[in-house]
Parts: sequence; C-alpha cells; structure tokens
Amino acid sequence: MVTQMDASLVEVRGVSKTFDGVVRALDDVSIEARRNEIVGVVGENGAGKSTLMKILVGLYPPDKGELYYRGRRVPFPKNPKEAAKRGISIVYQEKGVISSLKVYQFLLLGHEDKYVKFSRLQIDKMKKHAREILEELHVKCDAEDFMYEPALSTQKMVEIARAILSVRLECGDDDITPIIILDEPTAPLTVEERRELFSDILNMKKNVSFIFVSHIIPEVMEFTDRVHVLRDGKLVAHYDLSEEKITEEDLFRAIVGRESSEYIYKPEVKRVVSEEVVLTVKNLTKNGCYYDISFDLHKGECIGIFGPAGSGKSEIIKTIAGLISFEGGVLIIRGQKVKADELPHVRLGRGIGYFSGETGKELFLNWPIVKNISIVNIEKILRKLIPVISFNAEKKMAEKIVQRMRISAPSVNTDCYSLSGGSKQKVSVGKWFERSPDIFLLEDPTIGIDVGAREDIYETTLEMNKNGTSMILVSDDPKEYSILCDKIMFVKDGRIQKVLSPEKFRKVMAT
Amino acid sequence: MKILGRNKLITPVIIQTLKTHPVILALIALLVIFSGLYPERFLTPLNFKTILRQFVTLTLFALGPSIVVVTGSLDLSYVGIWMLGGILVWLLMPILGMFSILVIPLLGLGTGLLIGVIQVKAKIPSFILTLSLLVTYSGLTATLSGGYPRSVRGYEFITATLIPYLLTAFLWSIPIIIVAVFIMKRTRIGTYLYAIGSNEEGARLAGINVDKYKILAFTLSGLFTGIGSIILYQHLGGSAPVELNLMTVVWPLVAIVLGGTPLIGGSGGPQRTILGALTFTVFYRGLYLSLLHPEMIQLLVGLLLIVSIVVSARGLKGVTIT
Repeated sequence: MVTQMDASLVEVRGVSKTFDGVVRALDDVSIEARRNEIVGVVGENGAGKSTLMKILVGLYPPDKGELYYRGRRVPFPKNPKEAAKRGISIVYQEKGVISSLKVYQFLLLGHEDKYVKFSRLQIDKMKKHAREILEELHVKCDAEDFMYEPALSTQKMVEIARAILSVRLECGDDDITPIIILDEPTAPLTVEERRELFSDILNMKKNVSFIFVSHIIPEVMEFTDRVHVLRDGKLVAHYDLSEEKITEEDLFRAIVGRESSEYIYKPEVKRVVSEEVVLTVKNLTKNGCYYDISFDLHKGECIGIFGPAGSGKSEIIKTIAGLISFEGGVLIIRGQKVKADELPHVRLGRGIGYFSGETGKELFLNWPIVKNISIVNIEKILRKLIPVISFNAEKKMAEKIVQRMRISAPSVNTDCYSLSGGSKQKVSVGKWFERSPDIFLLEDPTIGIDVGAREDIYETTLEMNKNGTSMILVSDDPKEYSILCDKIMFVKDGRIQKVLSPEKFRKVMAT
Repeated sequence: MKILGRNKLITPVIIQTLKTHPVILALIALLVIFSGLYPERFLTPLNFKTILRQFVTLTLFALGPSIVVVTGSLDLSYVGIWMLGGILVWLLMPILGMFSILVIPLLGLGTGLLIGVIQVKAKIPSFILTLSLLVTYSGLTATLSGGYPRSVRGYEFITATLIPYLLTAFLWSIPIIIVAVFIMKRTRIGTYLYAIGSNEEGARLAGINVDKYKILAFTLSGLFTGIGSIILYQHLGGSAPVELNLMTVVWPLVAIVLGGTPLIGGSGGPQRTILGALTFTVFYRGLYLSLLHPEMIQLLVGLLLIVSIVVSARGLKGVTIT
C-alpha cells in the first residue's frame, strides 16, 4: 500500500459542543491531522482547545460533527481505549506521571493483561518490551528507573512513548502511525528542557503524527507544519507554515483578535529605584540547593533570578518566603536579621508576600472572589470597636480589585472554581495588590494563562513596583524578566554566575 | 429600601437559601410525610417537646466538632468529655462543692488543646487520635465510677423552668449557638479555619499560621462540648452515662454531615449543623413513632449517614459560604 506524505490521517468536521445548554464551547470546528506532521492547535484559555481534544480521545461526546479516520467515516470514540483503537492517544499537560512506579510499569500500565502467563505477570518480558520501545524512541532512561528519577523532559518523553505504545497495543499493529495529542507539553519545562523535548519530538516525526496544543507562539511557529487557530470556540484561521509567510505578530492577532499592547514584545519604561535596602541576602546556602547567594534588594526594585530548572532559583525564592529553611549565611529583612526556620506567616508579618502561579495552589476554589481577596487583608475590613468582619467593606474592597484587574465575573460573589484560568490568577494577584507588601515574591506568575491576562498581571505588578513594592521574580519565561526586572541574576548549579541588565539579558536571550 | 423592591427580593432570597441549604427541603418533606402518615401520634405537644429535647442534646454535641470538621479534620472526643466530665464532677464534689461543675468545660478545653497539639506535632489522622482518646476516656470513666452512674444533686437550677412550656436547656443553647456561628462567620478565626479546610497549602501561602489555628479549632471544639455538657449533665438528670454508647457518637456526626458540612472541610459549619440536628431529630422521632423495630431504625440511621456523606462530598462545588 502506498501512502502519500500528506494523506489525512484523522479529520473532524463540523464539531459543535455545548455545556449545560448555555456555554458554547465549540462551534462548527473542523481540523485534520496528516501523516508525519506536527499540526498546531492554538488559542487563548477557554478558546475550546481542550474541549476539542477531549472529544477526540472520547472523554466528551460531541453534540454534532463527523470523524474520519484514514478517509473512512467512523463514530466518535466513547472512551480513551476506543480512541487508541482509532490511533489517537493523548499526553496531558500535568499530573500524567505516577512517580512511585518504575518506568516499565508506567509504560505498560493498563496493558498488563497482555503479559500474563498462568495468572502471573511476566516481569522480564515487560521490561524487555519497555526497553525496546525506549531504545526505539531514543528516550534517555532505563526501564527500571523510578518515574521521578529522569529529568522532566525525559518524563514527558516516557509519557509520549506510553501513548504510542497504547495505540500499538490496542490496534495490535506495530507499524501503525499513531496520532499523539500533546496538550501544552512544555508548561512545566524550562527553556533548555523544551529544546530537548522538541528535538526528540522532531526525531519521531517520521513514525508519528502530533497534534500540538499550545498558546506559546514562538514554539508553535518553530515546530509545527500547520496551525489551526481557535477563538471563542470557533476556528478562525488555518495557516500552512511551509507555504505561507506568517509572523509571530500575525499569529498573535489571530489568537487574541486584537493588536498586542505595549507590554508584550517591547522593553519597559525605566523606574526609579531608591537607595534604601529592604532585603539583604549574604552568602545564603542550603546544601544541595544553592550556595553563597548574595544580593541587595532596594525599595522599588525588581530583581529576577533566572536559570534552568534545578538551578536553585525556585529554592532561593521559597527560602525568602519562609517555605523552606536555609543552612548558612544571613538573611536581613528591613534591617532585621531573621531566623532560618521562620514560617510564611512570620515572614508576612515582616512584609513579605509570596505568590505562586501554580493553579490551585493559592486560591480557595470553593470560595467566592470576595473571600479570596479579603483573606490576606482581614485587618483592613475589621470594625474599629470590636474586631468583627464588615461585609460591606469586604465587598467594596473586592469590587475595587475586580474592576482594577479587569476580572470577568458576574459578581464578586461568584465562586472561584467557575472562573477561567486567567481570571483565577488575577484574583490571586489582586489580593496581594490590595495588601501591597513591602517585598513581593513572584514565582511563575503567569504560568499557563493567556496573553490578555498576562498583560493585566504585568500592568498590576508594575504599578505595585511604582508604588514602592520591591519584587523578586522567578520564572521560566525569559520575556517576563525583560518586562518586569531592573536586574537579572543568572543562576546555575545553585550559584550566581553573572548579573545582567535587562538590555544585556535581552541580547543574551536573543542569541 | 422601598417596599416594592422588598417584595421582589423575597423569592430569590428563598431560592438562594434553599440552594445553599438543601437540607431544609428534606426537613419540610419529613414533616409533611410524618404528619400525613400518623398525625395522631406525630402532631402532639408531647412529641414536639421530645423533638426539642433531642434537638438540644444533639446540637450541643455536634456544635463543637462541626468547627473541627470545617478545617477538614474530625473530632470524636465529645462523648468522652461528657462522660469523664460527669464522673469528675461527682469525684470533686466533696472538695470543690458547687464549683465542681466547672470541671467539665475545663476538661473540654484541656482535651481540645491536647488533641490539637498532638495532631499538629505528630501529624497523625485526627480520626484515629480522637477515637483512641474517646476509648481512653470511657475506660477512665468506668474505672473511676466503678461501673455505676453516679448522680449528683444540687444543679437542678440549671434546667429549672424559666419560661413556661419552653425547655430551659433550649434557652441556654441559644447563646451558645449564636457565639459559635458568630465566631465562624464574622471573625478572623472563623475565616482562617475555613481557609485551612478549603486549601491548606493556600492558607499557608496567605500567611496563616496553620498549626496555631488547627490547635485553636480543636480547643474551641472541646470548649463548646464542655459548656454544652454542663447543660446536658443536668438536662439528663444530674449524671452522665458510664458506658460508651455508639449511637451517641454517631448521631452528632449524622447531624453535621446531613446539615451540609462535608467531611473534607472548607465549607458548612455550625449554622448548618443546627439544621442537620433538627432534620435528624425529626427523622428519628418520625421513625420512632412508626412502630418500626429499634434495630430497623438503627439500620436506617446508618444508611442516612452514608447517603448524606456521599451527597455532601459530591455537592461540595455548589456549596457556598458567605
């Protein structure tokens, strides 16, 4: 059988999906994945990317639409197992890895029945099979490693190997071309890990087709052959990147439906940093994490700590927040030497606020917006005579923040679980904006949220900065450093390598 | 507010209330069913008096633990505090005289503090810890009492009739309920306890001293149980039982969960527990009057607990706190 290079492998036509009869998640969307290509599906949060993928792997039934597999019409899968029979499998954004399992156990999880002989698992056969697939796909780990041992990018590769394997085993055919959906695969990875992952993925292209779901524009531009753009549940654009000349700006406009504002892609206006030192870090050391870290943070200054995952940047900022303790050196906050094992609430008393962008970590999801904002600002809403919460003051405060942060919600009493990812993040940042701590620690402040929400968060943090809040930033997105920071410290293997100005940093990053 | 506007507001308020407190529907349904099935037995002053009596007992037991449940832990020590406290009153009577009744709230306070500190320091599941403590206390009670209930006279004034036709124990329970609800709803302590139950990591990141407030939750629970036990002590005739009855442990749990406080914490609280206690009492009295065998009623109580746990866990997302 001769197959053409661009033969359509899987195609969905006119898919629509409505939730609870109200929210229209998908409206007449058609996409296709061809043989041996990486096709991008991009859009902001809530554009319908995830819903479409969940329909493809059989987690949701569509209201309307048709599915074609190798040119033949087939019914939509009812569960992931059926999807695998049609050659489709998915690698989720997070929580896909079971770290207590060994690599071979994880790879073959759910397929043990194929390795049973006399009601006993043939462990050796499983290991052998796992080694074969790891070798075939050039995954750099051993079948007997635990899943938490390899680097994050390798763990992703094991997940991809597992998805491919499940298609092969379900179809009973080793030569089939699987269609693997990668749902924001790079979200938890650092820059280097991303590069590594992508070079591995490109190597696999000859045997596998990928559907690459993302909202990181440069990645999509660099690694995909074609791009489908979704906005508000509709397919708004389709580009063939090998034929058309598309710039990042074009793609950005298609995704958000408006021009990118000044904060993205443009250097930031300079701020005035006062001489007053609010935080001094001297020879701070935690064995195994970081060594001899020293710097001064001035009032109104923003310092970025940049480096690859495992460089110690995350541990440094967590130490300042009081989430982990240090072993050597001195930490001086507003002129006061502090103990190594102080807890976050003591540090907050000293004026240090910590914000992590990891979804679900900060928020009280079953609470309304108003409570989520007042939780760090209770002093402000207590009555003067007896310390009783004034619901009126609480509501006014929340309304101010909702308006200021442009949070889209019907009212301040809306429960947070029903908000979009971007709005959730804005609520988290908003409560700290109201509190306006002396020192604000930001860790991955915009992870996993869309471009519009990012801009609002940058704008807010810059305003806090202008009002005299000092900040420390740790992130995986280099652009974020050049937007927010006055000074960037480059950390590697737990040590500060060099200190760069934003201009220098941009130049280093551009090369 | 204009009168016209007020009329328009009533319906949405009722709908909102029913949405956040679905147990009210169950309560109405039970009242309708039982009064329809056997009005001659159910709709009597005596029955309503009994309902009120049992409601008070249940509420005073369930109020404190429901504060702990909000934080996502569990406190089963209430019956232990009641039993051991009762026997301590009898033991200390010769020394302390009338003041010996105060040993019950002090025991509650101390027990709560102890549980809180152990739980936070040793990081063990509160269920096992408080269950072990309950068994220990009941063993201690049996040892101290010699196996017989020991009644003490002289505290009749606690439950002496103040207002005719109104149970004095009920009157006493009103301020206790108000204080509990007030603490949980309108103070910093309450807000922080809900925060810990909703997202412990988030509470830590928001600068809440999680350990301190967890200990506080257990201490409050013990204190409320202790104060309630004073009233229960006299309410049930100037003594406390010396043998552990499983039902007295289980019923308050049913009241808490039925009221809409999920065992995983983060929402609900004392104000719902009152509704739960009332609903359960009506449910129990209705069955009691139905001439079903007591064994059968126990079976139904068990089923009710299972169903309400499942419902409260599934309905968590829709539950709001304000």
